[in-house]
Amino acid sequence: MPAAQSPPIEAEGLIRRFGDLVAVAGVDLVVEHGEIFGFLGPNGAGKSTLVRMLTTLLRPSGGRARVAGFDVVAEAGAVRRSIGVALQDAAIDPLMTGRELLRLQAVLHGIGRAEADRRGDVLLERVGLRGAADRRVGTYSGGMRRRLDLALSLVHEPTVLFLDEPTTGLDPTSRLALWDEVRRLNHEGTTVFLTTQYLEEADELAGRIAIIDGGQIVREGEPEALKAAVGAHTLVVVVPPTQEHAAAQVLAGFGDPRTAKAGSVAIGLAGGPAALSAALRALEDADVLVEHVELDAPSLDDVFADATGRRLEGAEGDDAGPEEPG
Amino acid sequence: MTTAVATVHETTIGWSQSVAQARALARRSVIGTLRQPQVWLPGLLFPMFIAAVNTSTMGKAVNIPGFPKVDSLLDFLLPASITQSVLFGGLTAGSDTALDIQNGFFDRLLASPVSRTSILVGRLAGASVTGALQAVVFMVVYGVFGVRIAAGPVGVVLLVAYAMVLALVIGGFAAMLALRTGSAEAVQNVFPVTFIGLFISSAFFPTQLMTGVYRSIATRSPITWMVDGMRQQVIVGLDWGDAATSLAVAAGLAALAIFGAHRALQARLRRAS
Repeated sequence: MPAAQSPPIEAEGLIRRFGDLVAVAGVDLVVEHGEIFGFLGPNGAGKSTLVRMLTTLLRPSGGRARVAGFDVVAEAGAVRRSIGVALQDAAIDPLMTGRELLRLQAVLHGIGRAEADRRGDVLLERVGLRGAADRRVGTYSGGMRRRLDLALSLVHEPTVLFLDEPTTGLDPTSRLALWDEVRRLNHEGTTVFLTTQYLEEADELAGRIAIIDGGQIVREGEPEALKAAVGAHTLVVVVPPTQEHAAAQVLAGFGDPRTAKAGSVAIGLAGGPAALSAALRALEDADVLVEHVELDAPSLDDVFADATGRRLEGAEGDDAGPEEPG
Repeated sequence: MTTAVATVHETTIGWSQSVAQARALARRSVIGTLRQPQVWLPGLLFPMFIAAVNTSTMGKAVNIPGFPKVDSLLDFLLPASITQSVLFGGLTAGSDTALDIQNGFFDRLLASPVSRTSILVGRLAGASVTGALQAVVFMVVYGVFGVRIAAGPVGVVLLVAYAMVLALVIGGFAAMLALRTGSAEAVQNVFPVTFIGLFISSAFFPTQLMTGVYRSIATRSPITWMVDGMRQQVIVGLDWGDAATSLAVAAGLAALAIFGAHRALQARLRRAS
């Protein structure tokens, strides 16, 4: 299929092993033109390993993948010419200026000096770094580095953009600014593959998401549809530790138990918000002291919990697999 | 249609584009070095300090029978100082490569359509240009203190060429180590070895005045062959034979180092498969 017609990203049974560790265990994936595809999962789930395979930095142990219509192994050079990549940590030379780095990146993509300077000016303006263009990157804030990283990934006008946890460590203002830029790029036709561990980010930006856990995709679809599939609102009550069991027994009559943080009991409230007062009365009648109560509409965290039995928010860990260039 | 599109994109990177990429990366390497005075300044000051101490404490050594005929010990030490400075400075090519690997910039390069060889060539070319600048600084500074290159302008050019090739030697070995280990610390640990290598050679004292095992090792040291060839240009005059020996030894070692670095790069790229 011609590159222009085939999906920008497609993976089939993609596997990556590091010795005995299977970091990515058979991922099937299709991202269509013009999508922002959110790839969601905790640290260590295999997100970065998958991105490294799709961006030709890591050779798959099995399966196949095509990006921009080209095979990531057999046509790696063509893939590299077609994609923009902003990896985790915004690896940018702190000794060079933003303008110098843009020029360097342009030359690496075979763009002539005059055109490189023109595109550099446009991109610096676009990401709000024109005033800092001739300052060394070492003096930039985290948000400025991320914006420059984004500009660097766009200098050759790629059709597919990979953003690997682009807002990790950013303050809320910088995060919102980057979201706006990603939306703008997408409106202009760029397909965006976004990995994140922030549920809100995926919810805000992505038209479709996949949740990866243990190297496998456990849910995939539109965020609203996935949330709707989880079903009822989640009722969370915080009670004294000695009354957790009693609270769980009472609430079992109002819906199925859900995964909850320590010190709280959660159920899927079968009757929705209308059943809230009845549930609270039942707890009062059973002499359960309710210290705090929440009624949450289904969230992506509920989707994740439903799929894996664990909560994503607050999850800690380390990303799977050694960092291997290639 | 598929074939046509794929063919266009799969065309290997052209020679001119590879050269442009290597030149851009070399420029980055030089800029990176020049913007870190803490990196290049010790490499200039330390050899000058050693030369100053030696000249003031052992200046009369030039009168020892058998010592090459020189106006001052500083004339004798100029090639040694250049060698010492370039050996120290060349390690930067390795440590900066390791830092690129550690901080992810290497991945940025690999994710772009840059020729893999250009990554290495750019780094080593940058080291070579830096080596040339170091040689010029030493000739100017020592010139202020009365050192004259006996071989004239041709001798100056030969010394600059020597520094450039020598930078490829140490830069190549350092880059090989960096690509093998990915550790800037491992590269920096080579520093004492280069230091010892310099002292067990004719860099600071003529081999004909040495004795025993020390002399035996020094006369066989490639550093001796390189330094002596260049020293002839400084203290005697233009001698194409000595210059050729010096440059040939340096070029041979450079070829070995670059081959090793290229193999290390290939190994690092293969490790991902």
